[in-house]
Amino acid sequence: MEPIIRTENLDVGYHNRAVISDVELRAMRGQVICLLGPNGAGKSTILRTLSGLLAPVSGAVQVEGIDLKKMKKKDIARKMSLVLTDQVAPSMTTVYELIAMGRTPYTNFLGKLTPEDQKIIDESLETVGASAFRERFFSELSDGEKQKVMIARALVQEPELIILDEPTSHLDIKHKVEVVRVLQKLANEKGITCILSLHDIDLALKGCQIVLLVHNGKIVSQGTPEDVVRDGVIQQLYEIRGAQYSELFGAIELKGREGNDIFVTGGNSSGIRLYRALSRKGYGLTSGILHENDADYQVAKSICGEVVSEKPFERICPENARRAKVLMQKARYIVDSGFPVGTENRENLTLLQEALAAGRQIWSVRSREECEALYGNKAENVCTVSSVTELFEKLETAG
Amino acid sequence: MTHKTTLRYSLLFTIGLLALLAIFLLNISLGSVQITLPEILQCFTEPELVNRSHYSIILNIRLPRTLAALAGGAALATSGILLQVFFGNPIVEPYILGISSGSTLVLALIILGGYTFGMKTMTSMGLFVGAFLGAMLVMVIVIFASQKVKSITTLLIIGMMVGYVCSAGTSVLTVIADREKIAAFSIWTMGSFAGFTWSHVKILYLVTIPFLFLAFLMSKPLNAMLLGEKYAQSMGISIRPFRFLMVLVSSVLTAVVTAFAGSISFVGLAVPHIVRCLFKTSDNRIVIPASCIYGAVMAGLCDMGARLLMSPTELPLGAMTSLIGAPIVVYLLVKQKRGEM
Repeated sequence: MEPIIRTENLDVGYHNRAVISDVELRAMRGQVICLLGPNGAGKSTILRTLSGLLAPVSGAVQVEGIDLKKMKKKDIARKMSLVLTDQVAPSMTTVYELIAMGRTPYTNFLGKLTPEDQKIIDESLETVGASAFRERFFSELSDGEKQKVMIARALVQEPELIILDEPTSHLDIKHKVEVVRVLQKLANEKGITCILSLHDIDLALKGCQIVLLVHNGKIVSQGTPEDVVRDGVIQQLYEIRGAQYSELFGAIELKGREGNDIFVTGGNSSGIRLYRALSRKGYGLTSGILHENDADYQVAKSICGEVVSEKPFERICPENARRAKVLMQKARYIVDSGFPVGTENRENLTLLQEALAAGRQIWSVRSREECEALYGNKAENVCTVSSVTELFEKLETAG
Repeated sequence: MTHKTTLRYSLLFTIGLLALLAIFLLNISLGSVQITLPEILQCFTEPELVNRSHYSIILNIRLPRTLAALAGGAALATSGILLQVFFGNPIVEPYILGISSGSTLVLALIILGGYTFGMKTMTSMGLFVGAFLGAMLVMVIVIFASQKVKSITTLLIIGMMVGYVCSAGTSVLTVIADREKIAAFSIWTMGSFAGFTWSHVKILYLVTIPFLFLAFLMSKPLNAMLLGEKYAQSMGISIRPFRFLMVLVSSVLTAVVTAFAGSISFVGLAVPHIVRCLFKTSDNRIVIPASCIYGAVMAGLCDMGARLLMSPTELPLGAMTSLIGAPIVVYLLVKQKRGEM
C-alpha cells in the first residue's frame, strides 16, 4: 500500500539550516502518528514542513507519491488540513461560519455553500461533538470547545491527512481525552491519517499507533509505542531531572531527599501514598522489603533513597531481611504502612515485631485492634494514625 | 444561514440603503441656501425650470461634493477592512497606519512644491497618482516592519511614527511654500470634501467602483485569511500574490480619497467595526458591501455636520469623523472585551 505522506532524507529547518536531519516518515492510511520530544526539539518544524508551510532544507515531502512542491495549493488543501497552535480569534464569527471556511478549496469563486457542503459541515460538527454550539460565537467558547471546532474545520476539507500541532495543550483532561478519541475515530472509521505532536506522553503512548521520538536534531526512534518506549526512554528523551518517569504507569514520581529519616514498610500498594506524602514533606525515606512485582516497588525505587527488594513471588530471604533490619535500625522513625501479611512477606511483620521488642516506637496506619492482634502486648508502643495529616502531626510532636 | 440571520441581513441592508438615500438628499437640500426636495428632483427632470442659482449650487457645488463624500466613505471603509484582515487586527486603518499621511506628503510636494517650482496646475489624475505613490511608500515601510516585528502594538507605533515623519515633511513644505496656497492646503490636510470638481468626482468614481468591486470579489480568500495566513494557505490560498493584491487595493482606495479630500480619520476603523457588530458576522461577503453603504452614510453624515453645525464656518471633516468614530470604537472595544471575559 502506498503511504499517504512519505519523506526520505528530509532535512527540516529555517534559513537553510537544518534543525532536524534525516526525517524518514511513512504514514499509512488511518494511522495516528505522534511526535514526542522536549520543547524546542523541532516537532513543530517537522509538522510545518510536512504541511508545506515551510520548504524543506533538503529532500522532499511526497503526498501520495507526488512531491509537495509540485502540487497546486488547492490540491494540497484537498489532501491535508491543519490544526495549528496559533490562537485564532476572529471576532463576530460563529462556529458554523468558521467551520464553513474549511470548504474554501471546494466552493465557488464567492464561497457559496451548496447543500452538499452544508451536509459535510453538519457531519463534521456531529463527529467532533460540537453540534450543540454551532450558532455560538467562536470567541465565546472554552478552549476545549474551540479545539473541537478547529478539528471540525480541518475535517470539512475532506482531507486524507490532518496535521495537528499540540492539539491538547491548554485543555483539561476531559477535553484532552476527547480530542484523542476524536482523532482515533477519524482514523479508524474514516481512514484519515493524523500526524500530531503531543506533550501528554501518557496519552500519546496509549492513543497513537506510531510514535516518533525527536531529540538532538534527529528522530532517535520510531515505531509502535510499546516497542519503542521501553524503560528509561522517556527519561532520556526529555532529560528529566529530579523525577523519574515510569513507562509502566505513564507517570512521574518526584525524587525524594537522600537520607534515612523514616523507614516505611510496604506491600500491596500500601506504601505509595506514604512515600509521596512523606518525601514531599522533606523526609529522606528508605523502604523494604518489597516484592519487585509490587506497585509499591515501582514507586519506592523512584522516591526512596534505598529500597530492599525481593524477587517476584519469592519468600523474603534471610539476607534481605538482615539488610532491611539494618536500615530500620538506623532510621529515626519507623512507619508501618498497613500491608497485608501473607506467607511470602511474613518477614516484614517479624521486622516490625523485633523493632518493638527492641523498644522502638512504630507509627502505624492500622487500627488499634489490628495492631493488638499483630503485635500483642507490644502494641502499646505503636502510635496509630488514621490519615497522612495525622501522621505528619504525630511525627512532628515526637521530635 | 438561518432564517433569523437572513432577516437580520435584509433588514440592515434596507435600513442602510434608506439612510444612504436620505443622507444624499439632505446633503443636497441643506445648507446656507435651503433647497426643497421637489426642486432637487426637478433638476433632473426639467432642469430649465429650476431657479438658476439653485441649479448652479446643486450641480456645481452640492452634488459633486455629496457624491464625493459617499464614494470616499465607501472607499475608506473598504480599505480599512482589507488592512484589518491583512494585519489580523481590528484596530488598523489607513489613517492610523500613516498611509494617508504618506499620500499627504507626496501631495504636499506636488501642490506646494510644484507651485514653488513654477508649475501652475496639476491634473486630477496626477494628484491621484501622487497620492497613490505616497500611500504605497508608507505601506511598503509598514509591511517591511511587520515582517521584522510581530507585535501589533509595535507595528501601530511604527505606522504612527512614519505618519509623524510624513506630517513633519508636510509642515516643512508648508513653511517654505507659497503663502496663498497654504490656507487652502491646510484645510485640505485636515480632510474635506469641499471643492470637489466634476473632474475629481469622475476620477474618484472611475477608480473607486472597480476597486470596490474587486475587493468584494476577494471576499472568499479574505474570509480564509481571518484565521491567519497559515490557515489560509492550508486552505489553498496562494498567500504572496494575495497579500500583494490586498496591499494594492487598499492603497488605491486610500489614495484616491486622500488625493482630493485629504486624510480622513476613523471611517476605515469605525465603519467595519460597527458593521460587524450590527450584522453579527465577519463574513466579508456581507461586511464589504455593508461597509460600503454604511461608510458612505457615515462620511455623508460627517460632511453634513461639518458644513452645518457651525455654519457659515465649516468645521474640519477630520474633527467630525474623529468625534463620531473614536467614541464608537472605544465603546465597541470595551463591550467586546467584556463579552470575551
